[in-house]
Amino acid sequence: MNEEELVEYFRAQMRKDPDMASAVAAIRTLLEFLKRDKGETILGLRESLTGATDCLTGVDSSVAVSSGGELFLRFISLTSLEHQVSGLPGTRPFLLHSWTRSSSREILGVKLVTFVNSVRQDLSRCKKVMEERGELFLEKISMSRAKVAKLCHTFIKDGAKILTHSYSRVVLRVLEKAAAEKKRFSVYVTESQPDSAGRQMADALRKLNVPVTVVLDAAVGYVLEKVDLVIVGAEGVVESGGIINKIGTYQMAVCSKAHNKPFYVVAESFKFVRLYPLNQQDVPDKFKYKADTLKTVKNLSEEHPMIDYTPPSLITLLFTDLGVLTPSAVSDELIKLYL
Amino acid sequence: MPGPDKETDLTERIEAFLSDLKRGGSGTGPLRGSAETARETTALLRRITAQARWSSAGDLMEIIRKEGRRITAAQPSETTVGNMIRRVLKIVREEYARSRGSSEETDQQESLHKLLTSGGLSEENFRQHFATLKANVIEAINELLTELEGTTDNIAMQALEHIHSNEVIMTIGRSRTVEAFLKDAARKRKFHVIVAECAPFCQGHEMATSLSKAGIETTVIADAAIFAVMSRVNKVIIGTQTVLANGGLRAVNGTHTLALAAKHHSTPLIVCAPMFKLSPQVGRLSSLNSQFTICISGEILSKVNVHCPVFDYVPPELITLFISNIGGHAPSYIYRLMSELYHPEDHEL
Repeated sequence: MNEEELVEYFRAQMRKDPDMASAVAAIRTLLEFLKRDKGETILGLRESLTGATDCLTGVDSSVAVSSGGELFLRFISLTSLEHQVSGLPGTRPFLLHSWTRSSSREILGVKLVTFVNSVRQDLSRCKKVMEERGELFLEKISMSRAKVAKLCHTFIKDGAKILTHSYSRVVLRVLEKAAAEKKRFSVYVTESQPDSAGRQMADALRKLNVPVTVVLDAAVGYVLEKVDLVIVGAEGVVESGGIINKIGTYQMAVCSKAHNKPFYVVAESFKFVRLYPLNQQDVPDKFKYKADTLKTVKNLSEEHPMIDYTPPSLITLLFTDLGVLTPSAVSDELIKLYL
Repeated sequence: MPGPDKETDLTERIEAFLSDLKRGGSGTGPLRGSAETARETTALLRRITAQARWSSAGDLMEIIRKEGRRITAAQPSETTVGNMIRRVLKIVREEYARSRGSSEETDQQESLHKLLTSGGLSEENFRQHFATLKANVIEAINELLTELEGTTDNIAMQALEHIHSNEVIMTIGRSRTVEAFLKDAARKRKFHVIVAECAPFCQGHEMATSLSKAGIETTVIADAAIFAVMSRVNKVIIGTQTVLANGGLRAVNGTHTLALAAKHHSTPLIVCAPMFKLSPQVGRLSSLNSQFTICISGEILSKVNVHCPVFDYVPPELITLFISNIGGHAPSYIYRLMSELYHPEDHEL
């Protein structure tokens, strides 16, 4: 699978199901890449996957795609470790022994070929396991939004006024579930410039018959006194328990802290990322700007960033498919996975 | 015949326990401490394990869950009952896993790691029968009971590390754990205690009497005076009814006020709570029961709505330290203790 096919497959996945998270589409694309890969070694596979992930981040530079790619790579390493595929002859002592003993070159040649074949069989067996597990993994994470919605909707009480930011499919799912449970609530959505994604959210909510008001990004402080709770999605959840999300989220978090309103984050577990930013500057440039901007613009200091970082001290609770977590529990989860 | 007799005996005991709980909640029966409730619940669960008819771990868990739902429905504000039921369910799971020979260490929690490496959709249905399972579970429950009996002493043992001479300690209402904690420290140190009376039941008065009998200099203050007196206090030590999963508390009314006053004066707030009070519920509990009503006589009764909530929610940011029978913890660590005590599937009984 070359670069164009990769990008085309990714774009097709996103078009087919606009509700799918971009990380899920990335993982699906990488799984397809794995299926079509003709490599002979695990190391080669990892390298080509890293290349594929870089290619995908060139199309969609969001944190979610990057975290999806890293997770898939981790998945490959864990599975291959379990199956102990190695290409080194040193691990096959019987072969060494027969090398010294055999005198005929033909027998040696045959033995070498059988060895290579057995490694190839090992690798193909391992790849088969990877493909099965990959499908299973995709199945599980496609259910994660439903799990998050189930956990979060109980926190929305009757008569609640909710504030949210920009367009988040997870938040939409949560509000759908709460509306389905016959809860009455109203929503304030920020417009979220520069792409006015908030209006898309408002339209989707109107279809659910939820009373919704679109407010200016600058009106967050103004509207917070009327609001009972704030729920936002996340593009990435970082190691410290903070989040990376559309620009304007940090502002909302600071204002909610000042007004003592709970600030809830809803995110699926595949968005956990191995980053530890200490302030806004620490977030890498490759996430801050759109992929096309990064390629075309020379002087990034003139560009407006698309995301910001919200530190964990401003977040009350995170709702994930692994359960309701406090920000300090997030690093625990990441450690369990990566170390 | 032993069979039917055991069954009726068991159901009788469960009914007796349920009615006890109901009476305790409505204020008419004797008020029981949570430690007592926890012990009785665990003893009841042991009896159910021994006497009820079950053939596999799945059956036992189903029976326990069913009885558990009935008991918690009888008295929803008594969370220790639910906690003990979840502990026992976890014990059953562990013993089952041990009998099967698999190490349940990694399998317990949902985690990213588990998502990536599991081979199949894990449908653990606990249907296998093991002969020794009953004995193992009962033994483990006995260990749990021993642990429960020692909790107050374990907490009191840590008192000397936290209380120093000539300190002024503030507390509210009456907590048996805090009482034992302070009495233990009083053996070696001299300090002063201020007790907020905690209206309308004024249990602070009993606490003060008990402490002064142990030779501790005690002062009783009205709840309204908490903020005024706080500037002279070195530490605030309180008990609680429940510890929530996010590190917050559900404690007797007036505790939130006390916590805010302590935060304002940067006074450390220490909560003495044994592990059986840890509950998987999170956040604000909307149904803070206002079960108790005050007797107001006269004309005013018909014109006025009286609300008297029994419990307060204290957010985790106001708490400095939790002292439990297994040591001291920060509020941000409570989620970890929870994952060690309960299985996530048991959070909803």
